[in-house]
Amino acid sequence: MAASASTPHPPENWEEDDDQEADEAAEMEAFQRQYEDNFSWEALQEDEFGRLRPLDFREEQRAKRRRLLSAAATACIRRGMIRYLQIVVDLSRAASIGDMRPNRLAVMSGVLQGFIRNFFDENPLSHLGIIITRNGIAQRLTDLAGSPEAHISKLQGNLDASGDASLQNAMDMAAESLKSIPPYGHREVLILSAALSTCDPGNVLDAVKAAKQNEIRVSIVGVAAEVHICRVFTQETGGTYGVALNEKHFEELVFEHVPPPPSLATDAAASLVRMGFANRNQDGVGGTAFIGKECKLSSGGFTCPRCKARVVDLPCSCHICGLTLISSPHLARSYHHLFPVKAFTEMPQAELDTLKERSGGRRERDRDSGGMTCYACLADLDPIAVDHGEAAGVSVVVRCPECRQLFCFDCDAFIHETLHNCPGCLCSAGNESAEDGNHAEQTDAMDEE
Amino acid sequence: MVELKHALDAKGHCLLEMPTGTGKTITLLSLITSYQLAHPEVGKLIYCTRTVPEMEKVLAELKELIHYRDRYFHEPGMEPPKILALGLSSRKNLCVHPRVSEEGSRESCDSQCRKLTASWVREAHATNPDIETCSFYEGLEAAGAEGVMEPGVYTLQDMREYGRKKGWCPYFTARHMLAFANVMVYNYQYMLDPKVSNMVSRELEKECIVVFDEAHNIDNVCIEALSVTLRRQTLDSAMRNVGKLKAAVDKCKATDEQRLKAEYQRLVGGLQERGALPRGRPTPGGEDWLANPALPEDILREAVPGNIRRAEHFCAFLRRLVEHLKGRISVEAVVQESCTTFLATLQESINIDGKTLRFCYDRLSSLLKTLEITDMDDFTPIHLVADFATLVGTYAKGFAIIVEPYDDRLPSVPDPVIQLSCLDASLAVRPVFQKFQTVVITSGTLSPIDLYPRILNFNPVAIQSFAMTLTRDCMCPVVLTRGADQTAVSTAFEVREDDNVIRNYGRMLVELAAAIPDGIVCFFVSYSYMDKIVSKWNDMGVLQDLMAHKLVFIETVDVVETTLALDNFRRACDCGRGAVFLSVARGKVAEGIDFDRHYGRCVVMFGVPYQYTLSRILRARLEYLRETFQIKESDYLAFDAVRQAAQCVGRVIRSKADYGLMVFADKRYQRADKRDKLPGWITTHLKDAHLNLSTDMLMHIAREFMRSMAQPYDGLAIGKSLLTEAQANAMSSGASL
Repeated sequence: MAASASTPHPPENWEEDDDQEADEAAEMEAFQRQYEDNFSWEALQEDEFGRLRPLDFREEQRAKRRRLLSAAATACIRRGMIRYLQIVVDLSRAASIGDMRPNRLAVMSGVLQGFIRNFFDENPLSHLGIIITRNGIAQRLTDLAGSPEAHISKLQGNLDASGDASLQNAMDMAAESLKSIPPYGHREVLILSAALSTCDPGNVLDAVKAAKQNEIRVSIVGVAAEVHICRVFTQETGGTYGVALNEKHFEELVFEHVPPPPSLATDAAASLVRMGFANRNQDGVGGTAFIGKECKLSSGGFTCPRCKARVVDLPCSCHICGLTLISSPHLARSYHHLFPVKAFTEMPQAELDTLKERSGGRRERDRDSGGMTCYACLADLDPIAVDHGEAAGVSVVVRCPECRQLFCFDCDAFIHETLHNCPGCLCSAGNESAEDGNHAEQTDAMDEE
Repeated sequence: MVELKHALDAKGHCLLEMPTGTGKTITLLSLITSYQLAHPEVGKLIYCTRTVPEMEKVLAELKELIHYRDRYFHEPGMEPPKILALGLSSRKNLCVHPRVSEEGSRESCDSQCRKLTASWVREAHATNPDIETCSFYEGLEAAGAEGVMEPGVYTLQDMREYGRKKGWCPYFTARHMLAFANVMVYNYQYMLDPKVSNMVSRELEKECIVVFDEAHNIDNVCIEALSVTLRRQTLDSAMRNVGKLKAAVDKCKATDEQRLKAEYQRLVGGLQERGALPRGRPTPGGEDWLANPALPEDILREAVPGNIRRAEHFCAFLRRLVEHLKGRISVEAVVQESCTTFLATLQESINIDGKTLRFCYDRLSSLLKTLEITDMDDFTPIHLVADFATLVGTYAKGFAIIVEPYDDRLPSVPDPVIQLSCLDASLAVRPVFQKFQTVVITSGTLSPIDLYPRILNFNPVAIQSFAMTLTRDCMCPVVLTRGADQTAVSTAFEVREDDNVIRNYGRMLVELAAAIPDGIVCFFVSYSYMDKIVSKWNDMGVLQDLMAHKLVFIETVDVVETTLALDNFRRACDCGRGAVFLSVARGKVAEGIDFDRHYGRCVVMFGVPYQYTLSRILRARLEYLRETFQIKESDYLAFDAVRQAAQCVGRVIRSKADYGLMVFADKRYQRADKRDKLPGWITTHLKDAHLNLSTDMLMHIAREFMRSMAQPYDGLAIGKSLLTEAQANAMSSGASL
């Protein structure tokens, strides 16, 4: 080659690049060293049951609390109780990457199944459908419907990843199905995305516009990295966008979508929704009838109060007259979203110390009652006592802003996630008229109900 | 800011390295304008930028600042201070004349403007109204001394609108307002290039504060300002120009001999004293030529030598000179000589001495003026020759003349060229340092910062390299030394062609494309290397794999094509398809285009962007640097290469909310002598664990980094990178104690 032959060698001393073998060997391990120097197991301790527990719970607990707080902070906000959620699952090539164990796809489907169950637990009045996208197209897996098991079984049968994801196709399909939802329904799309690029037939920004027009709230949970177009989608439609750091974080991000989102101001006008409280049929031979769309001959099921058709399960919409059929417990379960327990505040260490000082004297006298204990479960909250006590680790202590009772972390989580009532507030409400004076002192000494 | 204040107080120069996205511009502007307010004896702020968009950005920021100041200025009994700030650019950017502003190039715009505004054209217009003049220029002339702009901040766009509204020519208004403005924003050239600065910046008072922004390449700008390149085509057309001149002189002699006589008389008295080249205002017209290419202090203040005083003699002189140069250019081998030897041969062969040469440029300008020639762009070649002659005549040191029969890279194509190359960057910048009391040189990449005072030959009172305080580690510089198969990767000359290295680079890019969202920018060391590697990748199938993840765009030498590619690259990033942009260090993209936010989530620097070390000019310069400033060749080359690399990777971070992965893919970055030349804001983020990586380690880091950066970025900035109110109060009380 003429060109390369005539290009002479550049002078050695200018562009030198002699190897520094010794240095290299030393720095070779710098990358590995950061993992070797990571003695994460030393932060763990074995408790009396042989379980591993971290020495310091507080960081972990605070993170968990932050999630709870964000839910509680939006208290008194109107929520969309009747949700129509389209889940888009990205089954592109990128979903088969193994940076999450065993691979992204398995993690996504596992979390999604948990999500679907939880979703119907918390939102019995809502509907859900699944769309998958792969090979550049979108495909409807299940229609908007109520039964979790149907979705899950369908999902499990369709898990093979290939090709590119198409955000636009998926969104078009989701928008199409959500368009016809009655105005009281809350339209949502949740996208579980693995791909970092989208392969679209046209301009994906049109899909953003369409989603905005149809008042569809698009939320995205990614497993790899922040993609600009996803950010645009969520920002424009008022949804959230999270990128998972690891499997656990992914689960948290997805489960954030279980409680209903605050409803938009535009559909704030109150409206009445026609619903039917279906009667349960007799079990046994006497109640046997053709049930549901499939006309299976069986006993049990529910009868639509309007057209007397029989359906298998609640909640659902009647396959004959289209009436939403529910039972009263379903309504009650949705109710707490409207009146959540106020967020508890974390006690700073300094305040805890002064409280301890005050209760210190009394503690000498009667050790077994009062002092620094959780109001709900009576666990000792004093970190000093913990050192030579039975409970291991330092824990976060919280206080209810209403009744000013102290609670341990576990009770805090239980109250907000499951109980949806503060025991302290409920007790004081009962005693309000009878007792007055130093309220805090009184309740301090009170026993749990 | 403290350093800057010190420099202002000490009336000295300073050198500040501030990373991009830290509010460099606003810091400079706010402190200096406030300083002007507090010390009225301080003169104007002259803010020099490299490009027109940068200029606009500065003016926009200043506008906001002044707006803020007007709102919060509470001094009893005082009005908020008024300020006049404006940008000065070429006629091309400012012209509002409906026809002239449509002109394609800067030169043609200039010459069209001259055609309408030259003094003799306007005189002719007075007698014969059919001759066209520019109404905007006439409007400004009519306003005369009253033509003063109201205080305010004017961007170029504002200037044009203002000009349209008032019926004044924005360009000449800006030139006129130079004397009144508090803040001027213009290009480097206006300050550094003696041709332009003599015309524009001459009348600035000594107390001015001069800021050079993005000044990491200031030495190259200085050198370019004083270098001349002559090709054969140039010389050929110069010859034609001489013929034209001759014809014009003859014609003039026949019709209007008086004019030539008058010129002769003026020349006897000396060019400068007699005002043969009147400058600034009040000029009788808008025909101002570019001034002498040599620095003002080096211009002889005496009468033009007798042998070129007469117009026809001068034409003959030029013809001889061009003939001689044409003889010199047709050589077989490369010739390099100093100005002294060049002059000696000149004297020997055609009897032209150095002193005559020095007047060449002024004499030519005077002649063109006398002949009332307006289409300057036709006469560019002869101007270049005159430039060349004057510089050769004036400077004996710091220059080299290099004659190359062909480009080294394309030896089969004869492309002879004579280059007069300035070797000493300090020459052009010296008058600036001498004249103005404070010169601030600032950029994101000035490391190693102690080299600049040596190259530019000045004594700064303050040198500071600022680190960046970040609320999170939004930069992740990594050094990749090995491919996935553990063979070292490098663009060093010996291994550059190695298929293994090329494959490793390719695989790395494909894997990065799979792990990084939206935009990736790659920089190669040169166009030829990029061409080679891309065609190899195509053969290896790497390019196809890459296309599966992202679209690929390539920078070319053609500006229009590159702009189109960039535009499409942005669109691909916007719509979520993702794209890779392959470009070249030192290219247009590396110097001026930002890849902020999602346009650049990752930047890959393939190799160390050394200059083309076989270039004769570079060699001559290196030699000069070693002899004059005792700077080792390898030191300078490494410094230059690393500053280019830093410049390239700095493209992706434009603000604190932004984030980007920076991959230095060459084993030579592992060496301490390269690493310590990187600017502080990169080295502080360069962790030990991110050195000496192989591709798989890099992928791991990239994924982790992208995940952690995608987490919500909340306003936790207070307390970490922003001061709380209490801290700020504590600082101010501490300062006052």
